Order: sequence, then C-alpha cells, then structure tokens
Amino acid sequence: MNLQPLYDVKARLEQAAIAGTGLLAEDFRLQKAAENLKPLAAASPVFAKIDNGLQNLLSAPAEERSGQLLDLLALVDAVVYTQGTCGISGELTPLPTGCGTCESLSYGQLEPLLEALTSTGGGRTNLIKDAWENHPEYFGDFRILPFVILGLGESYAELADLIADILKAQKPEIAHLLKKDFDPAGKRDMVRRVEVISALEGTAATPWLREVLPEAKKDVRTAVITALGSDSQNTEFLLELSKGERGLNRDAALQSLALQEGEEIQKFWTREVAKNSRSVRFLTPSFSDWASELTAAGLRSRLEKALAASASVSMEDQEDLLLWLEAANHKSSPAMLDFWRFADEQADLVARLKNHNGRPLEFDTKLTDRLFSFLCNTGTKPLCDLCRELWEKDTKQSRWLPHAFLAALLTRPAAEVYDCFSAYVPITKPLAGSKQKQEFNDAVLKGLSHVSWSEKRNTHVIAAGDFPLAQPLDSRWMEHLIKAVWKTSPERQRLPFSTWEQVDSFDIYLVRLFNRSDEGMCALLIPWLRERAVETGCWDTYSRWIIDFGGSPRGILGESMKKSKRAPYLYLVWKLMNEASGVLSPEEIASLLEEIQATGFFRKSSDETGETVFLKTIADLRAGRPFPEWDAWNI
Amino acid sequence: MELTEQTILLHAPNPAAAENGRKLSKKGSFSALCKTQDNTVYWGECAGSGKTPYRVSVDWLNPDAPVCRCSCPSRQFPCKHALGLMFEQLAGRDFETAEIPQDIADKRSRQAARAAKKESDEPPKAKKTNSAAQKKKLARQLEGLDMAEKMVNDLLTAGVGTLSGSSAQAYDKLAKDLGSCYLTGLQSAFTRMALAVRTIQQNPGQSDTAYAEALRILIYLRSVIKKSRTFLQTKLETDNLSSEDTVLFEALGGVWKLEDLHAIGAFREKARLIQLSFDVSYDEAKKEYIERGWWLDADSGHIDQTLNFRPLKALKYVKGEDSRFELLEIPTLYTYPGEGNRRIRWDAASSRPLTKEEHAALPALASPDLATALKETKNQIKNTLLPKFLAVLLPIGKLGKVENAFVLEDPEGDRIVLRDRPEDGKDHASTDRLALLPEALPSGGALFGLMFYDERDRTICLHPYSILTADRIIRLQF
Repeated sequence: MNLQPLYDVKARLEQAAIAGTGLLAEDFRLQKAAENLKPLAAASPVFAKIDNGLQNLLSAPAEERSGQLLDLLALVDAVVYTQGTCGISGELTPLPTGCGTCESLSYGQLEPLLEALTSTGGGRTNLIKDAWENHPEYFGDFRILPFVILGLGESYAELADLIADILKAQKPEIAHLLKKDFDPAGKRDMVRRVEVISALEGTAATPWLREVLPEAKKDVRTAVITALGSDSQNTEFLLELSKGERGLNRDAALQSLALQEGEEIQKFWTREVAKNSRSVRFLTPSFSDWASELTAAGLRSRLEKALAASASVSMEDQEDLLLWLEAANHKSSPAMLDFWRFADEQADLVARLKNHNGRPLEFDTKLTDRLFSFLCNTGTKPLCDLCRELWEKDTKQSRWLPHAFLAALLTRPAAEVYDCFSAYVPITKPLAGSKQKQEFNDAVLKGLSHVSWSEKRNTHVIAAGDFPLAQPLDSRWMEHLIKAVWKTSPERQRLPFSTWEQVDSFDIYLVRLFNRSDEGMCALLIPWLRERAVETGCWDTYSRWIIDFGGSPRGILGESMKKSKRAPYLYLVWKLMNEASGVLSPEEIASLLEEIQATGFFRKSSDETGETVFLKTIADLRAGRPFPEWDAWNI
Repeated sequence: MELTEQTILLHAPNPAAAENGRKLSKKGSFSALCKTQDNTVYWGECAGSGKTPYRVSVDWLNPDAPVCRCSCPSRQFPCKHALGLMFEQLAGRDFETAEIPQDIADKRSRQAARAAKKESDEPPKAKKTNSAAQKKKLARQLEGLDMAEKMVNDLLTAGVGTLSGSSAQAYDKLAKDLGSCYLTGLQSAFTRMALAVRTIQQNPGQSDTAYAEALRILIYLRSVIKKSRTFLQTKLETDNLSSEDTVLFEALGGVWKLEDLHAIGAFREKARLIQLSFDVSYDEAKKEYIERGWWLDADSGHIDQTLNFRPLKALKYVKGEDSRFELLEIPTLYTYPGEGNRRIRWDAASSRPLTKEEHAALPALASPDLATALKETKNQIKNTLLPKFLAVLLPIGKLGKVENAFVLEDPEGDRIVLRDRPEDGKDHASTDRLALLPEALPSGGALFGLMFYDERDRTICLHPYSILTADRIIRLQF
C-alpha cells in the first residue's frame, strides 16, 4: 500500500499547526492532501477515520479547530507509528572483533574519567593521572577508549601529552581506532595520532603512513615523514621525499634519513652536506660510522681552513664550525678519534683563533667541553680510550683530566681508579704548588659531579646518559671526599628541594653519590650533613637529606635555624615536619617540634601561632594522632 | 561479604565523595583503627581541619545497608570520612580487634529495637483525608486545566511558528501558575515549551527540531488535559478522593508514596531483579539529573525501570545511584501505575552474585521473537500519554552489519536496524560500541535496548543498551 498520502497529510497538519489554525481555510495544500487520502480512506476504516477528521477540521468553527487539529495529529501519528517498517535487506556480515576490554565497571567508576576526558576546565589532568596510576584498566574499556582518543585533541598540551602516553601503553590493536576518522589535513591532535600509531605499530605502520602521506598537510605531514623514519625499509622512499619536500617536511625527511644505513644514504649525505653545510645538524643523533667519518672530515677541513686563514674567523664560519662540532656527538669512528688527536696537536694554534671582532674564539675550550659532554652522553670505549690517551700524553695539564677520570670510571676497576686519581683530591693542604693542585682537584670533582647513584640500576651511573660505570664507585671515595681540602666546585650553586636555600654544589654532588640503602655509607654521611647544617644554616635542605638517609635532624635543627639568620616561615616548618612524619616516629617529630619551639625564632606574624600549634601538635602526636593538615596550622 | 571498590561507590552519595574518601585514606588521615571480633563494626579517627579528629564508624551488620556514623558536621551521607574508612578496609590496613565502643553499641541496640518494633507493629492506618481540602484542590486543578487549554488553543490559533516571536517568559509564567494549581506535570510540559521557544530564539537553525518538540508537547498536553478533566470531574462528582491506579495521577504531577502504592495493591512480593543497564540524563526543564536503571525480573522476564531524580539544587544531598551487577532479592517490590516498562521502587533489598545457572537462564527471558516486541512497541508509542519507546529484550539470531547499519536478526530471521535514539543525546550513543567489543558474541544471547520509531526514515529501530550472553551482561551503556 502506498502510504505517501498519509505522510503528506501528517506533514500538512504539522505545517498547519506551525502556521496557525486561523489560516486553515486558505490552506489549499492541506485540502489537496485530504483529497489524495480518499483512495486510502476507501480501503481501510482507520484511514476513513482520518479522512473524516480532516473534513471535520476543515469545516469546524474557529474556536474548535485547535483541539480538533491536535486530536487529528495524535490519530495520524498513531497510524504512522503502526505503519512503521522494520528491518533491512542485504547480506549480514558478522561484527568485527574490536580492541577494547570489557569488564564490569560501573557508572560511578567510569563517569568521573569520562567527564574529565570530555569536559573543559581545571583539575582534569590530576584526575586522569590518578586514574591512570590506580586503574589503568579503565582506559582500555571499550566505552572509554574512543573518548581517550578524542582527548588527543585536548587544548591543554600537558594533558594531551599524558593521553598520548596512555594510548602508547595500550594494545597495538587500538591503532585501527586511531586510523578511523583520521584527518590528514588536521591539527595537533592528528599529529599526536600519527605519533601514537607509530609507537604502537612500529614498522607495521609503514603502509598506512605511506597511504596517508599524499593527503597529509603541514604538521601532520611532518609527523608522518618523521614516523616513516623508524622503518629502515623506507630509505628509498625517504630519499625520494628529500627531493620533493620543502621546509620542515624536508627537515623531517633528513632527520629520518640520518638514522638510516647503506651506501645510498652515505652518498646522499655527502652530497647534502656539500650542498648545504647546515644539514649536518641532522647527523648529530647518528652513531653510524659513515656519519662519523663524514662529520670528522668536514670538521677537520673547516678547522684547517680556520687555522690556515690569517684573518679572524668570520661569523658564518664560526657558526658553521660550531654546528659541525655539535654534530660530532655520538660519534667515535677512527676518523673522528683522529680529528680529536689533530685538534689536540693544534691546541696552541686553536687557542689563538680570533672571532670576527678580533676577540679570542675560545674554540680550544669549546673542543674540550664538547668532548667531555660527548663522553657523558655516549661513553663508548673508543672515546674512553681516546680520552685517556689525550690525558696520558701530557699529565702536567689538567685539560683532559676530567675526561680521563670519567673514562677510567667507565672502563677500569673501581679500586684502580681510586688508586690512580684520588691523589688529585688532597685531604691535607699542600705546602706548595697549591694553584695547580687545586686545578687538578677541580678537574676530578668535575668528573665526579656527573656521577650519581641510581636506585633503579643499583649502581653508580653517568647521570647524563644513564649508563653504568664499569664498577660501582670505590667506597673509599666517600670518606676521601668528605675530608677533601677544596670542596669548591666548578659548577654553580643549585637549589635541591626548590626551597629558598642556596646549597653548595659540592654537597649536592656528594649526596648524589651515596646509596641510601647502604647503612654503612649513610652512617658516614649523616654526621657530615649535620655538621654542614649547622655551618651553613640551611636547615631545610640538610634536614631533608638527613631524613632521606635514615637519620633525624634532632640536636642540630634548632641550631641550624638560628644560624640561618632568617626566621623560618611556619609553612616551611610544617612542610618539613609533614614529610618527616611519613618516616620518623611521632615521638621523634614531637621532639623536633620542641626543639624548634625552643629556638623561639619565628617570623613575627607566625610567632604566636607557632607556639599554639606546636603545643597542640606535640600533644596530638603523643596521643597517637596523625600529623595535622596545613589547615590546622594555618589559623 | 567481600568489600570492593564498586560496593563503596554504591554507598557513596556521589563519585566525588568517594574520591575524597579515597584521598583521605591515601594520605594516611586515619588513626586508631579498630574493629570488632566478628568484623561487623569498623571504627577509627580521621584528622580533619579542627582540633579534634572526627570519630567515624561503619557498621556492616547488614552488608547491603551499612550504617555509617561520623562526628563531622557534613550533610552528605555517608560522609567522606566514612567512605575513607571503607577504603582503609579495602586497602587491607591493620585494624586492631577491640570491644565495640559503648556509644556505638547503644546506637546499635536502639536501632535494633526500632526495627523490631517496626516489624511487630501493625501496618499504619490509612490517613484520614480532609475531603474539603481535597475537593478544593480538585477544583483548583480543574481551573488550571482550563488555563492550560486556553494557552494551547491560543498558541495553535496564532500558529506554533509564532513561538519565535513569543516571549519564553510568558510560558515560564504560565508554568508557574500551573504549579500553584497543583498541576506540576503540566508545569513541566510548559517549561519544556519555554525551552523550545528559547531554542528557536537563540538558534534558528534548530527551529525544525524545536517546532517538532513543541508539537509533541502540545499533542501530549491536549491528551492530558482532555483525559484529566474527565478524570477529575468524575472524582469530584462521585466524591472518590482516594488515589487510583492511573497514569494520569503522575501526569498531573502527583507523587506516589510507597504506602499509597501498597494501598492500591501495586506491589508484589519476593521479586528477583537483575539490572540490565544504567544511565544518567539531565532534564533541562526540571533542572534535575535522572538516574535510570533498567531491571529484568528473573522470574517473569518483565522489564521495568527505577528512576532516581536528583535536582541540581540538592545534588550534593541526594544520594546517587550506580550500576548494579548482582542479583537483588526484594521482599516487597512496588510498581507504579502504567503500561510497558513501569517504574519500580523498594525500601529494602539484599544482593548476591548471580549463579552460573541464573546467568545462563537470562537470555531465555527475552521476547519470543522480534515480531512480538514490535507489536508491543507500536501499541505503546501510539498512546499519547506513554513514552515513545519501549525497552525490550530480543533474542539474538545474528548480530552484524548490512553495509554501514548495525543489524539484529532474530532466530526467525526477522531483522531490526540498531541505531541511537536521537532524543537520548550524544552521551547515550552506544550503537557504535558494538564494533569495539573485544570478542565475538556466542550465539544464543539476547540484546536489550529501546525500541523506537525513527521519524527520519519512518522505521522502527532499536537503540542497543546491553547484550546478555550465557555468562555475562555486556553493558553498552553502564
């Protein structure tokens, strides 16, 4: 049965309601629709009823029309509903298997996370972070996952990056969800999608990346090209791209090509740096021998040119030289080692180089510093051997001592290193030659300042590259350093706990060397820290260190505060005690509070409050109650 | 009883309170943690901002309805301290075994005495109705109906198209007047009209949808006004002032109390219910959140719903509901008047996990076939006073896609298209989630959802809410 006349009547009645029943008499379209319904009315009683209703409506007095119109609309709606069809023809294909997880998680569990992912405003990052720490399983739930993906478009970059990290930790199967609705001409969210897909799928993402590349625009294109670089099979493709791409996209292609291998690549880079010297910066992360040789040759020729020129080095040449020097990072091929030997042989000439203003270029210092930095970053054996070789060539100069010391730590037994280098850090004041000895002392301390104890690796590591020493530092170093005559450090002072105190960097480096779980070592360090707390008046920093190493600042805290000459803020005291309460016993905290109170040394504004809250907190702690919140002190 | 995070969330007034409780527990605010020998009462002290810590306890004598007590002044119940204490339990903190404190023991015995008294007492006598006041109220309601009818007629005479030029405040005012005529149901309908007016004024691009919504409301109003007038006049003439089993009572704005439902016999005993789905929506007209649970009667297979209304103004103080995954055994289940999926309530229930056999039996409670459910749906949606959808449980023959459409085929080979109901909004979109399910669905399951008429292509479709297999309920909502 053709029901179109019925639908036309419904549409006309609705239109009549919108236009107003006052115009019904002039509505010829409704009248026509009513006419068209007649055949249906003849066929079925229910349509006849509608037809009858229409006639009554059209002939009704004005005041009754509204009611009749609504009654008729209700009837037509009911008939339309009953005539509603159901179903669909065609081949039924089974549902695809999805990638989310499916657990019995309640609305109360998921709703706060959903709200944080889909709304705007502050506080969401913490909520998502907490959920990720406590319930990582929520993020894989098939109801949540699509919203996590949408979160990549979050305008708050920190949150968007967190979401990207969360997605990177999911199963690789979710990549197809990220590919769905992917917009190659999109913005930052699409860039993050590319990064996540590449992290999830690795080389398997190549076909998709190649597929979307032609349509990809701006930052997305750059991201796609960068992602293509993680697959060594893409060399040819990237070489091709480097010919056609411009600007940032070409940079991305070069960045990717710098990490590829092969003869073609080597040829390409030789041509590229010859044509555009600045492109050498892309070779910086490369460990390859070919990149190393290319850089060494380029660097040497540039240095030779500078040395050969009688005039000063131009601004452009200076920048170029520094760029090539930076590219020497991560490289230790024989050619590169030869360059360093060459640079050392030419040290006197290099020291005389002048910049375009006629001032010393100080390229010799730059060479020394960069080699030290490269050693900290990579620590390869050839580089270590080179550093020792340079030092052994002239042990009267301290220039290569930090390098040789660090190289020894990375390659030689710990005891041998101590025996060989500890003498450079005197523990009794030398009677003669102090200046030179202090230079050697500082050089060894510079080396040590890059070493720290790693809880994760359970050994000493070079902090910059996070790789371990050959053996954990000889324990004799600790006692030796505490007794050292010159505790000055070449580095500037730093603030270890983000408080207002300035602490000598020697102490910071020293503390970093100690293993917190070694009770013997802690017992050695704590008295030193107590002594330094009183000497320096840095009560906050040293108290925290003492607590960290399993001690208590009781007995020196008050004295250190007095020494600081700066009355403490009550909040800083609360913060220290609050954190200490997680480690020390309530009785110990109570005693520390008594000690602080006894100093009577507070800012005027905190004086009275301090008295009150201290007495109450001491009583509470002794009654077995927990350390109070700041609100309880902030009265 | 095994304490889980879900149990704590279930007892929390809202997820934020539970989160605050978790934070208290995480930062070690609790001290002096104790419990009784029989592990029914847990108590401790929780540091607050004041001098003295709050004394907080949780009594698990009835695991389905723990009694939480706290000395804090919070109006939330249970407060974050009690919830925090539950998190302490969940985290497996050391609770020292001790004698129950005297004050808690006293409160416990007083509570037991009250419960015993309540059980032994005869059912409360029906309240004597003040017939003069009732008659006055009925007369006022009739006046209100006249007022509403006049407004409807005026609007239709001028044309719904004039809505864009009308002041929304006029509808708001009329809505207010209807409220003072004890017609809060109609008041809500007019508030919705005001909302439609605002939509047209602020966003002319959405005027088609808003006009359609306004028309739906007008048809509903016409029907309610007409039927209510007859209903109220009959009541007034026959002097029948007691509550009756009719949807009109609620449509006019009446609020059912459990004892009234009991009085009209709208209850059944020893019901066993399983929640099929849970969702929350916001009613802009009434400024309240509606928490809806869909429940399957494990014996009859009938599907009913629970509705928990949480006005925005009192959000913090009205306890929120949550998804339930256990089987509820309910001594007395009250059912609201109506047809189809009726509203249900109870004042006490105990819960337990479903057995394997009970789980396996659930899909068999589905409608015999798609055709039967279709007929029931059409019958419901053509009634102007009932919702334009019906919650149904359909047997799954096959579940799949025809081109881009998700489709359910019943064992008879009849098909229905699965799609989201536009009125439910984006936050209820669940059809696409079918494609994300991590495993292939075994045959013999059932699909629960809302069957509705889609104006766009004049078809009856199903908005899928959950899938029942022999061993689990996969919720596409919550």
